[in-house]
Amino acid sequence: MACAEFEQLLLEYPELENGARARVDAHVAQCSGCREFLDALLVVDSQLTAEFAGQEVSASFAPAVHQRVQSAAPLARPSLVPELLDFAGWGAIAAVAGLLAWWLVPLVPVPHWELSLDASFAAAGAFLLAALLVGIRSFADLKD
Amino acid sequence: MEQEIRACLDQKRYQEAFERLLPEFQNKVFRLAYAMLGDAALAEDMAQEIFVRIWKALPGYRGQSSLSTWIYAITRNACLTALKASGAKREVSMEAPGVARTVEASGTVSLPAAGAAIDVLRFLDQLPEKHQQVMRLYYMEEKSYEEVARLLEWPMGTVKTYLHRARKELAEAVARSKMKKGTR
Repeated sequence: MACAEFEQLLLEYPELENGARARVDAHVAQCSGCREFLDALLVVDSQLTAEFAGQEVSASFAPAVHQRVQSAAPLARPSLVPELLDFAGWGAIAAVAGLLAWWLVPLVPVPHWELSLDASFAAAGAFLLAALLVGIRSFADLKD
Repeated sequence: MEQEIRACLDQKRYQEAFERLLPEFQNKVFRLAYAMLGDAALAEDMAQEIFVRIWKALPGYRGQSSLSTWIYAITRNACLTALKASGAKREVSMEAPGVARTVEASGTVSLPAAGAAIDVLRFLDQLPEKHQQVMRLYYMEEKSYEEVARLLEWPMGTVKTYLHRARKELAEAVARSKMKKGTR
């Protein structure tokens, strides 16, 4: 078969640069084994290119895919819960900010500000609600 | 195009993302399936099934790899599963004693007449499975080592080694066939 020294060059023949190709051509002209090997490689390349080059899907491929997709179970619709909880989360942040203001303002030495017991309970309830909403929001994020 | 598809996925516009990726990847998926399965009709059917799987998996795509890498991985896994289910083809090397003679004796070589064709495809079917896959894909992907390596997710050196070995075996089989034609 091909000479050991030239076998790799013959396998890479189409990619050889001019200098290497000229050397191979000169050798092939004088060596029947390498000539037969190169001819056989050309037959292989020619037939396999004819068989496999330009392979594409048929015209009915995309419609067939759409039909299969429609027959398959529908995708789960994106849930609105994260968006609702987002809104609740921002609301909770606003509520907490309000509560902080409610607590801090009395510390400011302005005489007419007073804090009643009912207001304290309301503030505590609002704080707990805000904390609950923020917590639920975090849980939704973790689930994602 | 991949960036646009990912933008759709980020915004959970799955239908739109799918409508963009189908024409973009259908031929690549088909060619990879054809290379792995060895049959065009089977490959097209498998490619359709693969796109259904892609459709179902779109909400779970997190972008850790590129979209093409993700799609080709789904393709390879689906084809490997199909190959296992159908029973893997026995890997035969042309170097195994008697294989080349058996191939030639089975009528793959035409009678020695001027211009008679040698059926290289029959020889290709006798090669080990991985050699067949890389050879089919190489000629489908316009002889690009890079593209073959990307689709199969093999190192470039491995692709070249397999290709050279396969082409050498095929060329030697063709040359032996020609010699036999000449001595009949």
